[in-house]
Amino acid sequence: MTLSRRDLLGAAALVVLAGCGVEEAGEAPPPDAEVLDGLLQVELAAGAALIGVAGAELLARQDQAHARRLAEAAGAEPAPRSADATRDVAGALARKQDAVFAYVAALPKLADPDHRVLVMQVAASEAEQLVVLREALGERPVLDAFAGFAAGAP
Amino acid sequence: MSGIDAAVAERYATARTDSGMFKAGLWVEEVAALAYEAAADGALTGDDRAFAQRFAAQEREHAAVFETLLFSLTVPVREHAVPADLERLIPGLRRADRETALGRLGELEAAAIAGHQLMGRRLEVLDALRSVAAVMAGGAQHLVVIRAALGDEPLTKAFESGR
Repeated sequence: MTLSRRDLLGAAALVVLAGCGVEEAGEAPPPDAEVLDGLLQVELAAGAALIGVAGAELLARQDQAHARRLAEAAGAEPAPRSADATRDVAGALARKQDAVFAYVAALPKLADPDHRVLVMQVAASEAEQLVVLREALGERPVLDAFAGFAAGAP
Repeated sequence: MSGIDAAVAERYATARTDSGMFKAGLWVEEVAALAYEAAADGALTGDDRAFAQRFAAQEREHAAVFETLLFSLTVPVREHAVPADLERLIPGLRRADRETALGRLGELEAAAIAGHQLMGRRLEVLDALRSVAAVMAGGAQHLVVIRAALGDEPLTKAFESGR
């Protein structure tokens, strides 16, 4: 199987995008606990309960599990999740997309391989949840080959 | 289970260097592209065929990421997956019925995700993990579409490990 020039150019863009890390800038990476605590805040912001979406309770339970594990790994107390539920599925989708970007961006900053695997598993879960939310909005469930990265990573 | 997971896991597990893991990733994504093409030419019809064709193209994009990562290490790419590799990994996919075909595609996606996470544990060039994770996240989304097509629940997992 050979790849087209278009495939390779797209991949090169993704790899270049991925290569702008803290280590490349010559700065010492922050400790894992600091990175994980930052991700916990992202998770808490992205995990608001949804009203009117099939399977929303499962997604909320999964988000709570993400927060618990991230807090445990960071050695932090998990902040209580907001009790406010929302019907703003588009807003929830945008926050979850941002969470996927944040999880992926954080990976090279994590020194402990167990922490990297945990964050990859949560990132994969959040990417899966994006499909459910896109379906709920009547949108194409899979936006691109890279869970939104090709469409517009920050 | 069909042995797909074990075969893919062995390919990753025996890779001892970053370039070895990228080569494993390249091969698995290329086989996945061939698998979706075979399933689309076989039992899948309608919406199933449409997503299989789209995902085949996306798997080629995933493969291109690994090929680019290998180029970045100045490692030449001499081995590409061919239809015979698909036939060894998933015999008879083109002739399989719908449920079997979708099930095998799901097993392959899951095995690929597990391989990407092994890279998360073992890679030395950590910046490359962002590219690997973006590929993994795309594969996780494919898995949800396949689970939905099969009527499997739950569609999502709290900690997607591919296991």
